[in-house]
Amino acid sequence: MLFGAIPGVSMLTLAAILLPFTANLEPAQGVMLFAVIYCTGTYGGAITAILFNIPGAPENAPTAFDGYPMTCKGQSGKAVGAAVLCSAIGGVSSAIIMMAATEPLANWAISNIGPPEIFALVFFGLAVASSVGGRTMWKGWMSVLLGLLIATIGQDPVGGINRYNFGFSDLAAGIAFVPAIMGFFAVSEIFVQAEKKATGMYKAPKLSLDFPTFLELWSYKIAVLRSMLVGFFCGILPGIGATLAAFMGYGEAVRWSKNKESFGKGNLEGVISSETANNAATGAAMIPLLALGLPGGAMTALMVGVFQMHDLEPGPMVFYNSPELIWIVFAAMFYANLSILFIGLIETKTILYLLKIPFQFLAPMILLLASIGSYIGRGLVLDVIIMFGAGIMGFLLRRSGYSIPGIVLGIILGKIGEQNFAQGMQMVHYDVLEYLSRPICLILIIAGTLTILTGVYKALSYSLKS
Amino acid sequence: MSKLKTSHIVETLVWLTIVAVFYVYSFEFGQEIEIYKFGATGWPRFILGFLLLVTLGNLLHLYKKGSEAQHGRVGITDQDEEISYDGIGSIQKILAILALPLIFAWSLKPVGFYSATPVFIALTILLLGEKRIKWVLGITLFIYFLLILLFMVILNAPLPQGNISPFYDFSAFMLTLNTKLHQSLNF
Repeated sequence: MLFGAIPGVSMLTLAAILLPFTANLEPAQGVMLFAVIYCTGTYGGAITAILFNIPGAPENAPTAFDGYPMTCKGQSGKAVGAAVLCSAIGGVSSAIIMMAATEPLANWAISNIGPPEIFALVFFGLAVASSVGGRTMWKGWMSVLLGLLIATIGQDPVGGINRYNFGFSDLAAGIAFVPAIMGFFAVSEIFVQAEKKATGMYKAPKLSLDFPTFLELWSYKIAVLRSMLVGFFCGILPGIGATLAAFMGYGEAVRWSKNKESFGKGNLEGVISSETANNAATGAAMIPLLALGLPGGAMTALMVGVFQMHDLEPGPMVFYNSPELIWIVFAAMFYANLSILFIGLIETKTILYLLKIPFQFLAPMILLLASIGSYIGRGLVLDVIIMFGAGIMGFLLRRSGYSIPGIVLGIILGKIGEQNFAQGMQMVHYDVLEYLSRPICLILIIAGTLTILTGVYKALSYSLKS
Repeated sequence: MSKLKTSHIVETLVWLTIVAVFYVYSFEFGQEIEIYKFGATGWPRFILGFLLLVTLGNLLHLYKKGSEAQHGRVGITDQDEEISYDGIGSIQKILAILALPLIFAWSLKPVGFYSATPVFIALTILLLGEKRIKWVLGITLFIYFLLILLFMVILNAPLPQGNISPFYDFSAFMLTLNTKLHQSLNF
């Protein structure tokens, strides 16, 4: 939780550092450790998103849309308090559903979800992401497409052919997620604040310890329920994970709201929706991981590493060979999510005092933590250079009104989208009609296309209106 | 009437250059993949085509509305637009703040983390406007030892050691100290 809440590093940094040490642990202890890091880190990242506009992980990016404006308005306590409670609700409910229905859900996922459905969800998710964050719809799409383009660097997922390495052999493996994410989120935010400091426009964020009341939170019960469902559905799908869940949860909150324009300006529902959805996805993400051996994101990919270190292969057989391990994961996630509620509420008041640290002292700390986090993943100085390069790029793009979360989502979903599109096309022998004859796929493609067309219509009519 | 400014034209040219460079470079890996009809270039070229279209859409918006935000957009912060530089001093300062981390990153290979870090911390604090030298030194040492404690002593994380003589020797000295500390505490 602490690593998630320290600006500049994330649960991924901690997980990457601890991965080799798990070799000395019992398999159950190793798996449990990573399950707990996953749940608590997903919540911890919300704190930095709300207090500093630096999402601890990509799944906390939509939390910053409304969380940081709330901090600027002196409502940081309210935003963090809601994040604690909703993360716990999302996570605990997801863990309970997982305990009750992993096998039927896994069977359903195996028989109904294939590459076409995953690609269709990626398509819909990118369409939703393009509609939030950028100053115009065009800039929203340009951000997402830039992310997708960055994701094409490295080997192509079908033939393993090197693309866009521009003569650098280290780029053959592609741009690593962590440096790109740290650069676009943490470093660019430091540069934005540093610019304000240099031009005398910097205003220190206000500290507030006012937590939301029970009645206030109760009024968002529908948003919580909707985000739980969205998060759980996204989590079940292999390769999708909590990041898309958070964006979809936020997008749906905007879609169903009567007061759409208040989003992005400090609407508590924005924080509640994205935090419930991303934590609801953590439990559900265990289903494809355990049942199919397919990780839903970087963190679950590291969990596969823990399994493999102990000669265990996640997949259908793990239910028969090591059922106790499955229940250890479930129990660890359940208690980790409960602990978010208790420890989170206790530590939140302490963490809020981070806002009291002067920016000139906090900034070098964040930059160094981000540098270490980027370097540790692959042991390459190039990754630190990429991170600062991404930071400068992010700073310039933000000044021009582009969407940083859109770029990051493009980077994360690019490879998954391409891989599943290629597999899906091969499955249907390049017959688009057969592709669309799959019901889930059709619904998601129609929803994505409608989102795009509505966006284009609105953007064109706004641009052409005199 | 056009609201296009020079900065908008530069912005559009940058995007068009990205599209052109990536498109031309895609011929470098244009070989066929037997099992996949669209090959390694299909996906990137589709993205580039789409990017070209939205860049032109963006140009239309810039032509008609300038930098104005589209009505009803979600998740945008208006504050980013309000920054204005009042003199060459502030521009130099922000350029230095942008360049310093890149110089630090570049120096990690020859100089190493252990030697480059204190200099980086002190310079960043100074550039961000702290003038009290005692505070600069104190906070530099505090952050440096905090990072050493967390990543070297507790987590044993491998950090860049440098490859130039005095810096490399200093890194080796730090790691020896860490080993002795671990042995004495029986970690």
